Amino acid sequence: MKKIKSIAALSLAFLMMAGMAGCANTSGGDGSDGNAAAGGEAGTTAAAGGDTGAASSGEIKEFTAFFAVPGNELNSDNRVQNAIAEKIGAKCKETWLTGQTAEEAIGVMIAGGEYTDFIVGSSGSTTLIDAGALIPIDQYWDNYPNVKNFYSEAEWNQIRNEDGHVYIIPQFGNVYMYDTGTIHNDEAFWIQTRVLEWAGYPKIETLDEYFDVIERYLEANPTMEDGTPNIGYEILTDDWRYFCLENAPFFLDGYPNDGCCIVDETTHQAIDYNTTPTAKRYFQKLNEEYKKGIIDPETFTLNYDQYIAKLSSGRVCGMVDQHWNFQDAENAIKQQGLDNCTYVPVGVVIDKGIEERYHSESALDATGGIGITVSCDDVEGAMKFLNDLLDPEILTLRNWGQEGVDYLVDENGLFYRNEEMRKNAVDQAYLNANMCPYSYFPNYEGMNHDGINACNANNQPSEFFEALPEPVKKCFEAYGVQTYTQMLNPSKENSPWFPMWSYSNAFTTETPWGLAKVNMDEVKHEYLPKVVISEDFETAWNEYLTVYNDRCDTEAYLNALTEEVQRRIAIAEGN
Amino acid sequence: MGNPFNAEKKQTISLKQFKNQKVLILLSIPFIIYVIIFCYVPLGGWLMAFQNYKPKNGLLHSQFVGFDKFEFLFSNDQFLKVIRNTLAMGVINLVLGTVTAILFAILLSEFRFNRGKKLVQTISYLPHFLSWVIVTGIVFDVLSTENGIVNELLVNLHIIDKPFNFLADPKWFWWIVGFANVWKETGWNSIIYLAAITSISPDLYEAASIDGAGRLAKIWHITLPGIKPTFFILLIMNIGNVLNAGFEVQYLLGNGLVQSVSQTIDIYVLKYGISQADYSLGTAAGIFKSVVSLILIVIANQLAKKMGEEHLF
Repeated sequence: MKKIKSIAALSLAFLMMAGMAGCANTSGGDGSDGNAAAGGEAGTTAAAGGDTGAASSGEIKEFTAFFAVPGNELNSDNRVQNAIAEKIGAKCKETWLTGQTAEEAIGVMIAGGEYTDFIVGSSGSTTLIDAGALIPIDQYWDNYPNVKNFYSEAEWNQIRNEDGHVYIIPQFGNVYMYDTGTIHNDEAFWIQTRVLEWAGYPKIETLDEYFDVIERYLEANPTMEDGTPNIGYEILTDDWRYFCLENAPFFLDGYPNDGCCIVDETTHQAIDYNTTPTAKRYFQKLNEEYKKGIIDPETFTLNYDQYIAKLSSGRVCGMVDQHWNFQDAENAIKQQGLDNCTYVPVGVVIDKGIEERYHSESALDATGGIGITVSCDDVEGAMKFLNDLLDPEILTLRNWGQEGVDYLVDENGLFYRNEEMRKNAVDQAYLNANMCPYSYFPNYEGMNHDGINACNANNQPSEFFEALPEPVKKCFEAYGVQTYTQMLNPSKENSPWFPMWSYSNAFTTETPWGLAKVNMDEVKHEYLPKVVISEDFETAWNEYLTVYNDRCDTEAYLNALTEEVQRRIAIAEGN
Repeated sequence: MGNPFNAEKKQTISLKQFKNQKVLILLSIPFIIYVIIFCYVPLGGWLMAFQNYKPKNGLLHSQFVGFDKFEFLFSNDQFLKVIRNTLAMGVINLVLGTVTAILFAILLSEFRFNRGKKLVQTISYLPHFLSWVIVTGIVFDVLSTENGIVNELLVNLHIIDKPFNFLADPKWFWWIVGFANVWKETGWNSIIYLAAITSISPDLYEAASIDGAGRLAKIWHITLPGIKPTFFILLIMNIGNVLNAGFEVQYLLGNGLVQSVSQTIDIYVLKYGISQADYSLGTAAGIFKSVVSLILIVIANQLAKKMGEEHLF
């Protein structure tokens, strides 16, 4: 009996050990198998390089991608995704940032050493390159003309890393033919059309005027039609999204979105926008409005989801935000038929006479883009996928959808949509199930490759105007404009150093200026809300300044930025 | 009472005993291997704390910097604040958690109807299985200034005249976390005390009744002493966990206004170690936390030993 027991125990123990060893074995085996397969496939795809025809093998490759930005996950049986896969023989499963910051998500991936095939690091891009996580794309691109010619040689040179290789492809800001921009996708003070309509479409130029209109509207209309109380103004301060509170001062002073600083146009010095007289006046105004109850008392404790939920209800009259940050809320508002609660941008400045620069031309952000990781077993296949996605036919599928289902074509070749198609285009559930823009893969802006249509429906002037909610059309008419961008000043030519945030995003705590930035963020994130909700503004503001000057080495920070400004100017001048 | 944790006298194992226990020893081998692989091998990563670790160079080729990272940590006001927060919330959780669990277990054991007792017990430990994301969502709703039940109640009772945003006030944050923990874990924590109470011999209660003890007297003189050993063992183990004051709840409930009281060591590690890609600094903070936990657990154990109570080692 005893013997049986001990044999049983022994064999059990042995089994468990075998199990563990087995795990190790198979994983090792996987690696080598994967490599072999990659080698084999590399051969075949290289031979078929540049061929965008139907999938040769009939088997559909599936890549994975992680984007360190928030986004909507597509359904697995997405209609257009399958249509594209049938044509090019590959698809990509996209995952997005949820509940983390980009740096956290990327940091965890690097610590684990395992990546998706494609990756967009967002503000963690530099970290990815430094960690050796990306493969040099320029070593592979000779067979893939769409990728290689996506930018000019000069532009690629801006993107090249210090070691001379190209690791990322910036996806945005590449305009084909000319810019048709109708939508202001960036930051502005936004205001609901119902507020403007009620006030008789006044000209709003300054911060005081902006809040004055909202105040008067709230007084006359404390609730919505169904009785829910209106909210005057909302400020999002959740984690990295607290730009909705802190970066308005440079816009109010008439500077473009350099993100981390103001750059003086004549002296080319970086200036700290956090302590300027304008900043003080802006926060003082917010403080006043908070005390009056115009600003939501809960605003500083809301997280992003709660913020979007509040905006989606249509109750919020205005806020400062990036359009892409609240687009989901806007779609939800439209879907509920609350068309007069949608937003238009206004270019608010601190004093009359300052020229606002909220709208900037797309600028090449050389430090952010999509890369192929070292975890990708089939680099040639991945390159082919990128290349195929830039094929004119596929671009139309990505941006417009399928002909006859998502858009129609008239006798002149002009794309248009019917009422139902337009309704579908703002229904998030429908979009997730049917459309596949591969939005963080390289794409062209401006015109479609047919030279007739715009790159997508939102930018097609005729289509854009048809799809506008009635109250927005009325608003545009009242102001004598046709598009959202025209609500703001036309963009000026970008300065050679623009945008500076593409430099400061790459800071790490190892440098004094990087550490200064972390400290600045921390202090601002805590003290600016305190300033806004304080009973006594002056004391709170002085406390903020004391802590700020005490903890942040702004000198190192600004010096680093000024140096980069000089460097970029020198590059632009060709020295 | 027997004391399974206590091996006061050093025993030497004879060959015969070894042979007798052969099966048990064999059975334990896989678990020893498991512990080595998953608990001790990763400790090698502690090397990072003494390096300027770069993922590209790996553990073996990164530059050694000695105690630089620790020096940075302890000269950093933020880190000192973070230690304070972690300790404060850990202690609040420990005290509130233990007291409520014992009270709840005693209340439940005094319950007369068996069926109702089971129902209450089941309902009370269900929140334990909810994720913190959901629990913090509930906390947000309860404390909301728009229709939040706490504010409605306080306003209607005329204790305050307009809704108060508890989450925006640093004074309240630790307590909100503490009570969120109580709400979530009381039922679960009381299970072990309930089990201890059940194992107290009914004879003692009967004898006490005969001697004229009332309900409270029985609780005081029989139930509480009966669960004392359980209490001390759990206390020692939980003291080792004080620095694990939590991550999710503070991360999810926190906001800019309260960040100086809401950040714990774990959040600090995430922020500097992962987000800023300073893995060495993160590791150093993690080592510090482990060492302090170890010291705390030894002190608690020695104290319990001195007081002649149940102890771990």
